[in-house]
Amino acid sequence: MWRPLFVLAGLMVPMVAQAQGDPIRPLTIITQPQAADPREYQAAQIVAEAWRKLGLTVNLRPLPGQQFTQVVWYERKRWDVTTWQMVGRPERGDPDELTYNLFVSANADNGYDFVGYINPAYDALAQAQRQELDLAKRKALVLEAQEMINQDQPYGFMVHPKNVVAFNKSVWDPKSFVAQAGIGIRSTWSWLNVAPLGAQKDVILNSVAPPTNLNPFNIPGAQGSWATEMVWDRLMRVGPDGLPTPWAAEKVERPDPLTVTVTLRKGMTWSDGKPVTIEDAVFSLEAPGYGDKSPMYKPFVRNISSVTATGPDTLTIKLKNPDAAFLISSLAKLNLAPKHIWAPIFEDLKTKPQTAESIQEDKPVGSGPFRLVKAALNQEIVLEANPTHWSKPKVSRWIMRIMPNVEAALGALKSGEINFLADYTGDPQILRDLAKANPNIVVSEALDIGFRFLAYNERRPPFDSKPFRQALSAMIDRQLLAEDAWGGAAEPSNSWVSPALEAWASKDIVKRVPASLDLVAAQKLLKDAGFVLVGGKLHYPTGVKETTAPFN
Amino acid sequence: MLRVIAERVGHLVLVLWVVATLTFLMFRLMPGDPTLNFLSPSFNDETRAALMRSFGLDRPLWEQYVIYMWQLARGDFGVSFLQNQPVSVLLWDALPNTAVLTVVSLVLAYAIGIVVGAFLAFRRGSAVEGVAIPVALATRAAPEFWLGMLVLAVFAFHLGWFPTGGAVSPGGTMGGVWERLGSADFWWHLCLPAVTLTLFLQGLPLLLMRATMLEVLNDEFITMARMKGLSRWSIVMRHAARNALLPVVTAFALGLGASIGGNVVIETVFAWPGIGRVLVGAVQASDYPLAQGAFIMIAFVLVVMNTVADLAYAWLDPRVSVGARR
Repeated sequence: MWRPLFVLAGLMVPMVAQAQGDPIRPLTIITQPQAADPREYQAAQIVAEAWRKLGLTVNLRPLPGQQFTQVVWYERKRWDVTTWQMVGRPERGDPDELTYNLFVSANADNGYDFVGYINPAYDALAQAQRQELDLAKRKALVLEAQEMINQDQPYGFMVHPKNVVAFNKSVWDPKSFVAQAGIGIRSTWSWLNVAPLGAQKDVILNSVAPPTNLNPFNIPGAQGSWATEMVWDRLMRVGPDGLPTPWAAEKVERPDPLTVTVTLRKGMTWSDGKPVTIEDAVFSLEAPGYGDKSPMYKPFVRNISSVTATGPDTLTIKLKNPDAAFLISSLAKLNLAPKHIWAPIFEDLKTKPQTAESIQEDKPVGSGPFRLVKAALNQEIVLEANPTHWSKPKVSRWIMRIMPNVEAALGALKSGEINFLADYTGDPQILRDLAKANPNIVVSEALDIGFRFLAYNERRPPFDSKPFRQALSAMIDRQLLAEDAWGGAAEPSNSWVSPALEAWASKDIVKRVPASLDLVAAQKLLKDAGFVLVGGKLHYPTGVKETTAPFN
Repeated sequence: MLRVIAERVGHLVLVLWVVATLTFLMFRLMPGDPTLNFLSPSFNDETRAALMRSFGLDRPLWEQYVIYMWQLARGDFGVSFLQNQPVSVLLWDALPNTAVLTVVSLVLAYAIGIVVGAFLAFRRGSAVEGVAIPVALATRAAPEFWLGMLVLAVFAFHLGWFPTGGAVSPGGTMGGVWERLGSADFWWHLCLPAVTLTLFLQGLPLLLMRATMLEVLNDEFITMARMKGLSRWSIVMRHAARNALLPVVTAFALGLGASIGGNVVIETVFAWPGIGRVLVGAVQASDYPLAQGAFIMIAFVLVVMNTVADLAYAWLDPRVSVGARR
């Protein structure tokens, strides 16, 4: 009677020994160095500590800027996990750009799906929301896409940071700033509307990093874009509410999914005195598609099949495929450039290796509310209000000082040398304290469209296992990250759609992280997937060998 | 003398060629490439290829090298990848700022260092020395950024006497070199960075001067001067100090060369638009042409100042001769 049991017990010994695969190799989180980004580094430390509770060996590996990007972007089979961020830009007020580009499998080889997330069901959803022109239906699709990513957890979302800026209320009327959804008061709308209270009529703001050259076919980094957005008009702009608003266009209509008709505003002039014509508008929509002379803007015209002037002020755009976000992603992104200046330049570039991005005009010609009068790239950018613009700013100049030393910028705000602190990367508490001690300084915090996350490399086991990724994501204490690492200037995140975009955000998705902050539930996820904890170390499921080399 | 100069120029060209080659290879072997600055969700291989082609980085390495050397031989440093302006324009814009900052600070530091050093040697063992030497050492050893922040905190944030950064007031114009030198605004902005750099630099000439003075003061000709009944001032300044100056002069010339590229920290703290910041920005962004140009320029100044130091030595001290004596 007992014998069979003994036999069974005897069988069980080898079975237990076999009930586990190899131990999981030490995993490495790539981060920016502490000096370059103390918040991100601290966040990675907090997360690594939490993951160790699952029986993993987790190391941090700070890499300097260029090397960091090189490894993540071009050596896609080499790394395990990396910190990364998507920054907020007005055009991202429509979720299409990120919904599509971050996760569709077509981008896995060399595009922005650098984690290698492949899910045909998701591809179909991303495509469907892109082509759905009915807002309510499209919203439902975007919510569904977010839920799918919540289940699959290709990223461990961390936080949506807040933009922390400050201004001097003895110089500017606080009520005249315009907050833009997902950007805050450091918006183009503010620069167009802000009203001076006294003799100081120049907006003087800081930037930590120098921009690149400023021209209508170049995207000159985050800070440079603040300037180019105002020197060159666009047919539409992203409004304070995050929705596309006609700007240089008087009217934009979509009679059918593949057609967009534009009526140009009358009476606009270039800064060299020539009128803005419908040919200029047609040219501006076509030029980025000429050959490969405008690599950075070309993606935004790729879906355009033709642009035709249909009258002195009207044009018609035909699209190749329906594109719900076209108004924001293209019409609010492409700058209006004068044909009489840029057509000869594009002609000349045909025989040269250079691209249109590399051109620096001596006196840039635009039609925007401001004119570029000085671009000393390591010192300052000076814009002057365009007195003939139909939306004339109330300030006389807009001056961006390049100040690599953030503490000096704080001092400059205090002393009045700058009157708007636009680019602040330091501890938000220091700024709040400064405002408390100086009644003239007002701090403004606004939730950003962007987000910070940990990217799991799905090309490398065990990150190809969904329950494994879920368990990792479950252990991320997003509230702690927001409060500790980001000093309260951030909100927990579990989606690429920021709560700042109320229309598109999935309410309470942070609370729906599978097994969130529940160690037992996370361990169960792993156990159910066959992972085994032996002596405190997590092992692969039965029969799985560790064949991946640790990152070094 | 002509032969000597020819030899020196030969050395200079050789050194610059080595520097140019090394920086050329170094940046291309470093991880990362300039297209990484342009990553965006719409970025793909097509975008990258177009950018690489526009930078000329799609060609084989040897071809890039030949083109680069050929351009360099004609004095063409190429065009910055990121700022899309000729490297020579960007460097010539920044060089005068760095040169003014460096020269002003070095002259101040050496003037103070020499006088105080000589004085301290003369007052060896006194209470003054007991205080002055640790103070000089402390400012010399303090990190530049800390010293800079301290100066900023006191004179800019607290007292508000000086601006917190930059070389001109917001919206002001910064003209050519002579215009800058004639602008009160420019000098006002120069004060804090120059004071910081002076504080940082004064330790070396001070201690050097003191050490050589102590040596010289023990020499027989000083005893002789004393026996002649010359005044103290005459002994220290006319007899001793002149003989003690030699190593200090060498250090000055070398310091001038080294500082051209070495003010990165101060230029960053005070947002001073000089070569150091150009160099750091260029290296961080893999802007090869700009970084190469900056390195070559720094190497050029360094080598020239070395030569000047050699020649000055020979001129000041008859015991040293330059080249073969006939």
